[in-house]
Amino acid sequence: MAYGWMGRYLEVDLSTGRVGYKELSEELLTHYLGGRGLGVRLVAERGPGIQPFSPDNPLVFAVGPLTATPAPTAGRFSLVSRSPLTGTIFDANSGGRFGVQLKRCGVDALVITGKAPQPVYLSITDRGAEIKEANHLWGEGVKETTDTIVEAEGEEASVACIGPAGENASLMAAVMNDTHRACARGGLGAVMGSKRLKAVVARGTIPVRVADRERLDFVIRESRRWIKANPVTSRGLPFFGTAILVNLINELGAFPALNFQRSNFEGAENISGENLTENILLRRKACWGCPIGCARVTEAGGMRGEGPEYESIWALGAQCGIDNLETVAKANYLCNQVGLDTISTGSTVGCAMEARQRGYWPEGPIFGDGEDLLRLIREIAQVDGRGRELAEGSRRFAQRRGAPELAMEVKGLELPAYDPRGLQGQGLGFATSNRGGCHLRAYLVAPEILGIPKMVDRFSTRDKPGLTIFYQNINAAVDSLVFCRFLQFSLSDDYFARMLSAVTGKAFRSQDLHLVGERVWNLERSFNLACGISGEEDTLPRRLLEEEVKEGPARGRVVYLEKMLPLYYRARGWSLEGVPTKEKVKDLNLPTFKG
Amino acid sequence: MLEQFRKFGRELFLQGVNSSHSGNMSVRMGDRIFITRRGSMLSDLTERDIIETGLHGDDSHIVLASTEIKIHRAIYQGTSALAIVHAHPPMAIALSLICDEIIPIDTEGIYYFKTVPVIATELTVGSDEVAEKLPPVLGNYRIAVLRGHGSFAVGQMLEEAFQWTSSLEATCRVIYFAAQLGFPGALARGKQGEPSW
Repeated sequence: MAYGWMGRYLEVDLSTGRVGYKELSEELLTHYLGGRGLGVRLVAERGPGIQPFSPDNPLVFAVGPLTATPAPTAGRFSLVSRSPLTGTIFDANSGGRFGVQLKRCGVDALVITGKAPQPVYLSITDRGAEIKEANHLWGEGVKETTDTIVEAEGEEASVACIGPAGENASLMAAVMNDTHRACARGGLGAVMGSKRLKAVVARGTIPVRVADRERLDFVIRESRRWIKANPVTSRGLPFFGTAILVNLINELGAFPALNFQRSNFEGAENISGENLTENILLRRKACWGCPIGCARVTEAGGMRGEGPEYESIWALGAQCGIDNLETVAKANYLCNQVGLDTISTGSTVGCAMEARQRGYWPEGPIFGDGEDLLRLIREIAQVDGRGRELAEGSRRFAQRRGAPELAMEVKGLELPAYDPRGLQGQGLGFATSNRGGCHLRAYLVAPEILGIPKMVDRFSTRDKPGLTIFYQNINAAVDSLVFCRFLQFSLSDDYFARMLSAVTGKAFRSQDLHLVGERVWNLERSFNLACGISGEEDTLPRRLLEEEVKEGPARGRVVYLEKMLPLYYRARGWSLEGVPTKEKVKDLNLPTFKG
Repeated sequence: MLEQFRKFGRELFLQGVNSSHSGNMSVRMGDRIFITRRGSMLSDLTERDIIETGLHGDDSHIVLASTEIKIHRAIYQGTSALAIVHAHPPMAIALSLICDEIIPIDTEGIYYFKTVPVIATELTVGSDEVAEKLPPVLGNYRIAVLRGHGSFAVGQMLEEAFQWTSSLEATCRVIYFAAQLGFPGALARGKQGEPSW
């Protein structure tokens, strides 16, 4: 492969110790690009019948054609597998610099199958992969693991690892990279733990070839001007981080609290981005190649770390009725250290708190009890004590307690920090997301809250099916490049196409990216259907469909999903049951599955 | 306040000095600024389109504020203005491409402006360079034009800033028509290389 792509992936079977390169065709890379798209394709071709904890379930680290080039935010990577939390095909992506190091090892992806007989870590270099013993690391937290491996492998090495949560198969376990960045959602850390794989360390020196450097530099220069001119990317995110959304969303009555029993939180100001900046911020930080720099280095309660991000502040704060920023920050540090998804963890604890409130779990935690939250995070990571009840996420917990309606999730994945009763498009995005309750698949927060590219009526269902499809497709393509979602605040689709063209030397237009996104979306959908996850799962928690918001700007509203979903299916070219038609599968050149 | 924003936002569009989504307006109130939302239609403003943020510092509303918030802040900090109107008047923009200053030849223009400075910068949207160059000029002039971009007018109230914007465009139209009719010197005095301001 001449430019952008490396044209091969590295395959490692931990059961046999076999390691080898496999070629990737130009056609496949053009159709799926990299990152999420390539990862989904590589997982899907092994078939939907493989259970998440089976050694045969592949765990795929994938980078994109622009990774490690000077393009903005091009340091990211995707992690793809079948999720033990949702049962769906699942991708998570992360920043930091792991993606850069992996790409420089001369591969577009790393595919891991099998199960090691004892704990190991994988060392990836220009020469391939080496399986190394990791007994001494098993049981260690993320920071100790990362530091130990970096000391052994060298300063340039970048580490993606699991903490105790992944080792103990908590279904909310994350894969952490560069200590503080996370492929957080979907329990992919537990998949890694099931393979007895403690970490992957990458250190490469192979440069990425760019077809037209002059053209790329020009597009990047233009891009940076847009990024600088836009207050979201030049002021809001750099100065306050993602937590800038706390006060804003709360004012709009779309900031859920107490397990979505309320749509705003009285203590929001205390845990806001403004308060974080004033009281616990040490310095700002950026992922590799990022001109925005939304990461925060903070210190609270005698601990130091990164974050908390907006979603984490909500999950570990408002969702649990906690308005003490120090407690929220400590809970966030702790989740990062033990390797837990902050959203699912906080949301599941919030669900448990409501179970306690309603008498379903007398020994459960109480809303507002920060100390108990910290205790529960440790127990969830160890799958011990009360944590045993919660480590499988809110859906399984609430079902066991006889109150499934208390779980605020879609397809088993806990919902993030937006009450969709005040954001109809976001509600449709949650319900139809292929990986469950995720805000980033469609991210209608951009047009419904931030007015990007234009403000739409957030209370209206009108036009939302079409908009949702549009964003789901382009976001799938951007996740395949792999770029940060925040870049899309400033750059229109054609900028991504122009950068891709400059790097690969192949002509891409923005509509080509939409087609790639549609292909990825439909492949994910087809895979999930073959796994037995039908259109019936395209729904929301009963509370959001039936219980009206009691106060604030969204007062009296629910999500009017029944108005939007049939139109969404039709516009997707799917049947009334949400199944892609044969014509659609053929048009997109998708593989077919039995099931 | 919303009524004022709506009234003059609509007038700016009807007079042809803004296109569907161009321009922005703000009002200063002590240490707070009320500014139109990024991407809003000035001809059809609603309550949600008026964004309150700080004069000196950012808060969460910064993500909704006009792209030109940096320029508005710099003007308020560098002048005694309480209101700003930024528009894209076509005639004024056209003249700004060939003149270093726009010198009125009609009575209204001469009465209000004497001269209108034209400021040239490499980047004209929300840039540090504009934030640095524009406020000192608007400390001495009611209105100035960013070459190829548009006008910034200041006043004690929105109506004033609106008036300077409207009047400038009328003045520029007179200059253009006069030049077309062969009026000697209609453009000569403001040509590039001869700024008097």
